[in-house]
Amino acid sequence: MINLIQILIEGALVGLVYGLVAISFVVIYRASKIINLAQGEVVVVGAFLLWTFTAGAAAAGYPIPLALGLLLTFAGCVAFGWTVERTIFRPLIGQSAFTIFMAGVALLILLRGLTQLIWGAQSRSMPVILPEGALQLGPFLLNTRLLIGAVFTVVLTIALHAFFTRSRLGLRLAAVAEDHTTAHSLGVSVRQAIAVAWILGTMVATAAAVVLLSGSILSLEVAVIGFKALPVALLGGLESIRGAPLAGLIIGIFEALASAYLDPLTNGAASGLLPYAAMIAVLLIRPYGLFGWRRIERL
Amino acid sequence: MLTLANIDVVYGGVIQVLRSANLEVREGQMVVLLGANGAGKTTTLKAISGLLHSDHGAVTAGRITLAGQDITHADPADIVKAGMVQVLEGRRVLEHLTVHQNLMVGAHLRSDRAAVKADLEKVYNYFPALPKLLDRTAGYLSGGEMQMVLIGRALMARPRLLILDEPSMGLAPILTQQLFQTISRIKREEGLTVLLVEQNARSAIAQCDYGYIMEGGRIVLHGSRESLEGNQDVQEFYLGMGAANDRTSYREVKHYRRRKRWLG
Ligand SMILES: Nc1ncnc2c1ncn2[C@@H]1O[C@H](COP(=O)(O)OP(=O)(O)OP(=O)(O)O)[C@@H](O)[C@H]1O
Ligand SMILES: [Mg+2]
Repeated sequence: MINLIQILIEGALVGLVYGLVAISFVVIYRASKIINLAQGEVVVVGAFLLWTFTAGAAAAGYPIPLALGLLLTFAGCVAFGWTVERTIFRPLIGQSAFTIFMAGVALLILLRGLTQLIWGAQSRSMPVILPEGALQLGPFLLNTRLLIGAVFTVVLTIALHAFFTRSRLGLRLAAVAEDHTTAHSLGVSVRQAIAVAWILGTMVATAAAVVLLSGSILSLEVAVIGFKALPVALLGGLESIRGAPLAGLIIGIFEALASAYLDPLTNGAASGLLPYAAMIAVLLIRPYGLFGWRRIERL
Repeated sequence: MLTLANIDVVYGGVIQVLRSANLEVREGQMVVLLGANGAGKTTTLKAISGLLHSDHGAVTAGRITLAGQDITHADPADIVKAGMVQVLEGRRVLEHLTVHQNLMVGAHLRSDRAAVKADLEKVYNYFPALPKLLDRTAGYLSGGEMQMVLIGRALMARPRLLILDEPSMGLAPILTQQLFQTISRIKREEGLTVLLVEQNARSAIAQCDYGYIMEGGRIVLHGSRESLEGNQDVQEFYLGMGAANDRTSYREVKHYRRRKRWLG
């Protein structure tokens, strides 16, 4: 029993990190209606920026205080998110979904290549940014890094929800998420809103990189997180900020259970397949996800 | 306040819809634009608000000015900032947002919180049914409720010129009447200028100061309320009165054609 609960806890914590990446999908999708297939690569770019401004700078003989390093990292990913939107997706506004999908595939390969070109293919060790170790809670152990990440995800979800429903900028983004023509008619600059969404999505992805990689190994393989979070975003509903962490919990817990009980019987295949089986099930049964926007058919 | 001078609009680079349209809305007036389906009314309004882009349309000739400022090719956001808001055709509420959020999106350009709050109260005063609906999802409201949200949302931007595209579409006659009364009350009390497109010609003319009639992308007739109400063509073809009952007779049709040519 204790063992089972421990598995559930670990699954939940990991699931909330998936949820964090899923939020970055959602933020971008809402405004631009683009599912950024390269979101995993965006996480990797964020991680390499972080490495550059921390361990990398120190190794080159220019040590930067951690707080400043983080600030520079997030400034860098603002510039990065803006550039991707401006150079690739803005010129494609109004193009077919297929064109945009192919552009996403191209971006994925492009970013993979560029990352390798700039930072090389070898893996790097990331500095410890979040405290290491585990919190003892009765008989259970909670990984401190993941626990902080989980709390961050929950706080971010609440904050973003308030942002999208109360602030003026957030309401602009919400209007754009609903309908571009209506947003235009109310004087919302749709382009500006989409740019803001990309920047915000890139920042969230980078925050996920911090949680995921603090004190661990950074390699190009980390990009897989993008494809792990995609089923989470779909399950939660592509328009729903609050759906993302909930779906993350569900998928994280099922993945942990599969990993504990089914993997020994399936040569470790079950837990890897599970999110994608869930994704196909969602698409078949409830394509708008748990909390996504179902078209209101009544006019 | 608003002037359209010789406006041509072309869709997709080939389909010309507006042909040298001229229209003027004076400060404080309620102006109505009438015309059959497909006459080009919505196109005219979208040209004014800078919304033709998303339909692959463009103003190819002429000039639109708002309070002396050239807005012919201006950005829709700048046009709203300049004090003009349009309620689009077809009840375009932000479906998944609540009524309150819909209203607040209208005020997204304003940072004067106290004044925004006061305007919210004003909107409730014009539409007393709204306060009870604030937390409802806008997409599930009835047509009449949506129309209140849409007009309320436009008012939250504090426009000087309000443009309405067929607000009565799909409403019961009694609701249409109430709506027009509320619109003219808002116009009076807020000192608002209104440009209204309507199919409901009779009620619209009754409320307006000045009217334009559009046909095939041209303005074919315009005049004050009195002159429109007294005009025989308007009576026959838009108000369905008088000689219209005999319209099927050949003589009447010929008579109309002749006059129509003269009007065009
Ligand atoms: N995006 C578009 N592309 C091509 N043609 C268009 C487009 N939008 C409208 N039209 C054409 O322009 C003409 C005028 O349309 P418009 O919508 O302005 O008419 P309307 O007077 O508002 O009609 P209704 O009373 O039915 O709303 C119509 O013939 C229509 O087919
Ligand atoms: Mg129309």
